[in-house]
Amino acid sequence: MEHGRLQSQLLDKHRGFIVLSNARILLALTFLLILLSGCTPKKGPDGSDLRKYVIIAVEGDVDSFNPLFAQEVTAGEINDLFFPGLMDARFDTSKGELAYYPMLATSWEFNNNNRDIVFHLRTDAQWADGNPVTARDVQLSYELYGDTAVASIRQSSVERLRKREDGDLDVHGAVEAFNDSTVIFHFEDSYPGQLFDVGLPILPVHIFEKLQRRGLREDPINRNPMSCGSFILKSWKPMQEIVLESNQRSKVPYPAKLSQLIFRVIPDYRSRLAQLRSGEVDIVEDIRLEDAVELETSSPHIQLHTLGERFYDAINWNNIDQEKYRTSGGKTIRPHPLFGSSTVRRALTLAINRREIVQSYLKSYGREAIGPISPLFRWAYNDTLQPLPYDPVLAKHLLAEEGWRDSNGDGVLDKNGRKFEFALKITAGNQLRSTIASIVQHQLSALKISMKIEQVERSVFWPDLMEKKYDAFIAGFYVPLQMQLDELWGSDLNRSPFNLVSFRNKRVDEILRGAKRVAKETDHASAWKEFQEILYREQPCTFLYWMNSLVGINKRVRGTTIGVLGLTHHAWEWYVDETDIKGKRK
Amino acid sequence: MYHAMSLYIVKRIVIAIPVIVGIVTLVFVLSRVAPGDPVTHLYSPTISTTAVEQLREEFGLERPLLQQFIDWISHVARGDFGISYSHHRPVHAVILDVLPNTILLGLAAIAIEFVLGCLIGAWAAHHHNSFIDRMVSGVGLVMYTMPTFWVGLLLLYLLSYTLGAFPSSQILSIHAEHLSSLAYTVDLLKHLALPALTIAIPGSAGIARFMRSSLINVDNEDYILAARSMGINQRTISLFYKLPNALTPVITILGLELGTLMAGALVTETIFAWPGMGRLTVMAIFSRDYPLIMGCTIVAGTVVILGNLIADILYATIDPRVRLV
Repeated sequence: MEHGRLQSQLLDKHRGFIVLSNARILLALTFLLILLSGCTPKKGPDGSDLRKYVIIAVEGDVDSFNPLFAQEVTAGEINDLFFPGLMDARFDTSKGELAYYPMLATSWEFNNNNRDIVFHLRTDAQWADGNPVTARDVQLSYELYGDTAVASIRQSSVERLRKREDGDLDVHGAVEAFNDSTVIFHFEDSYPGQLFDVGLPILPVHIFEKLQRRGLREDPINRNPMSCGSFILKSWKPMQEIVLESNQRSKVPYPAKLSQLIFRVIPDYRSRLAQLRSGEVDIVEDIRLEDAVELETSSPHIQLHTLGERFYDAINWNNIDQEKYRTSGGKTIRPHPLFGSSTVRRALTLAINRREIVQSYLKSYGREAIGPISPLFRWAYNDTLQPLPYDPVLAKHLLAEEGWRDSNGDGVLDKNGRKFEFALKITAGNQLRSTIASIVQHQLSALKISMKIEQVERSVFWPDLMEKKYDAFIAGFYVPLQMQLDELWGSDLNRSPFNLVSFRNKRVDEILRGAKRVAKETDHASAWKEFQEILYREQPCTFLYWMNSLVGINKRVRGTTIGVLGLTHHAWEWYVDETDIKGKRK
Repeated sequence: MYHAMSLYIVKRIVIAIPVIVGIVTLVFVLSRVAPGDPVTHLYSPTISTTAVEQLREEFGLERPLLQQFIDWISHVARGDFGISYSHHRPVHAVILDVLPNTILLGLAAIAIEFVLGCLIGAWAAHHHNSFIDRMVSGVGLVMYTMPTFWVGLLLLYLLSYTLGAFPSSQILSIHAEHLSSLAYTVDLLKHLALPALTIAIPGSAGIARFMRSSLINVDNEDYILAARSMGINQRTISLFYKLPNALTPVITILGLELGTLMAGALVTETIFAWPGMGRLTVMAIFSRDYPLIMGCTIVAGTVVILGNLIADILYATIDPRVRLV
């Protein structure tokens, strides 16, 4: 009986086996289908040519499509395409300064001893929903930027607008909507960065005036932007892709030539690079220098562009005794026991072979730095200063002059019982800085200086720097296109929180103050050159190099004007070579 | 039986609640006392310190830790997980965006792992002590010990960059929304293949070893001997006598793994740009996005506990000797 039931079950299962055989065939066919099927459609539902698109591979997603809050680089670039400003900024590389051209405004003039700027807006610009762009849009945008309830990260741009008699900021009064096409900015004083500060993205008043300002950061509008620029948001799949589409209504300046511009989120650098090589994506930012040479030779369909020397790295020596400074609540400022002397700091710079670092690791994409002013700013850059040479003998001599000797023969310099030993902090995961730290460690050990390398997670590193917890660290800055250096080099350490090495110099303070008083930035050129001479003499830190950010672009993408203003600056001019559309994306 | 199981499930869920509360309390305290700051990314000379302080106040970071915790837990009790600092959106919405992707990847990986592991294990057991058995064991051990990232890169290189058979990243192709339903599904499966295989290959090697030893053990049981003496053919014995009994430990392992996979597979998700829970959690940790860290913790804790529960239930279903208490 039991046996009979088993046999019956077995027959059922045999039937199952036959079904399984069919399933195998089905599986094989499916697999074949998977391999053979081309999955990229050529036409959209509206008949548009979907192949006229460009894909940019980006590391991270967009945090907000609202310029009031967006912090991520990609978000900033996209928002600039959605929300054009009054003017179009371009960087004049021959002069090394920003030049401004009409965008939302057709013209502008300075009045009232340059304390007022009158903008005449174009009358044909409209938002994607058909509403016109007016002076009220400009006025409300600046109100939002300045409103503490909104807590925009761009508040500092409105700080120098005209204040009320009681000293409080009154953005509504300072940005006057004279009529629909005229807006007047009233400033407290004239200063060189006025045009820069009035260049913020403009938001639609008919949308934002209805929204509560507190809690605006979380409002759904930040994910459904109303554009008046060359592109509109087609779709956004979080952590996957952002698809921008040409805005056919745009008059600022005109609808994008590309049908779509797609940002694909690919967090792994190697995957981004491989997809650039294979033609799956068209553009990859931040190409590592070690890959640049190989890419140039092995991938003829890819062209490398540089974003310009806007980033420098430095070995920062804390000039003051940061422990004493912190424990006294900022009251006690004494020279750092190791790095307090400019002679010692100079010796350290001489002991580090910066030229070798540049030649070995940055190749033609970097240059030795002599200070914090980029060579991009031709009018301000002091090209009479040559980088200090690698001279360990002179370095040793200078250290001995300062009293640093190996008195007890333990292989480490000492002075008054204090050994010359410290920890150099670097952010974890930065391969270049890690390599440089090892080189520095090796070269300083030749001078009997003991240095440990400590890697710190980025979200810990920066708060620690702001609290002045480290003796020495490698860090760098992207320099803004406006010469604003008082937050980085002012002697008042409370007002200059980014003076991370606590450098203090009266003449430098005068130069920084003077920079705010001149009518034009370039009027201060000689003072900036003197500023660099002072830093060269004092060596508050060892400036290492200016680094060119590299972008790899498929040659099928034409019309790009990639430079210091970012990757997607003027992306409305981009187009795809018609002959390449027919062929492979490569 | 069903009443006992229902009672068991309810009991386990009730026990799970204090476990999850314990986990989130621990993670809340640890994330807050760990060094770092959610507004670090705003440290820039071009951003005023006032704006940074306003944001800190808006996030409620200046309040005492206990008060922050009480506020947070009372909101969670009302179904409000807070607003993500970095995404500027409700935490539940951010998680719901990626959770289905993780479930899809996890289930696909588990399915491949199960089928592949069982087949290879059965093959090795069938050729017990032969060259095939030794080869399968050796290769399996190598596969099992291979780091996930290496498997992923290898698959990428071979099947994507060299053969071009599968896409290298993401969940769908560009403009997939314009594809027909069939083509859309095919596109999804193509994108799913490599990340699922990356997770499944080392796991299936482990399953194969369990399956092999389990089948060999079962082979020596009296009821197998009895079946053979009754003249039942070998295939029937293998399929209906040995396999169900040998599967019991495998099911337990898969159940445990299910929970872990549902919490996200960070390395695989990063290599293949798969938008899932693992990537989201790590991004939240690095940006010190406390509400999102807590949201991810709750989801991960819940799915791990659920995974264990499912394993127990499957175990009891397959083996009636097991009593759920």
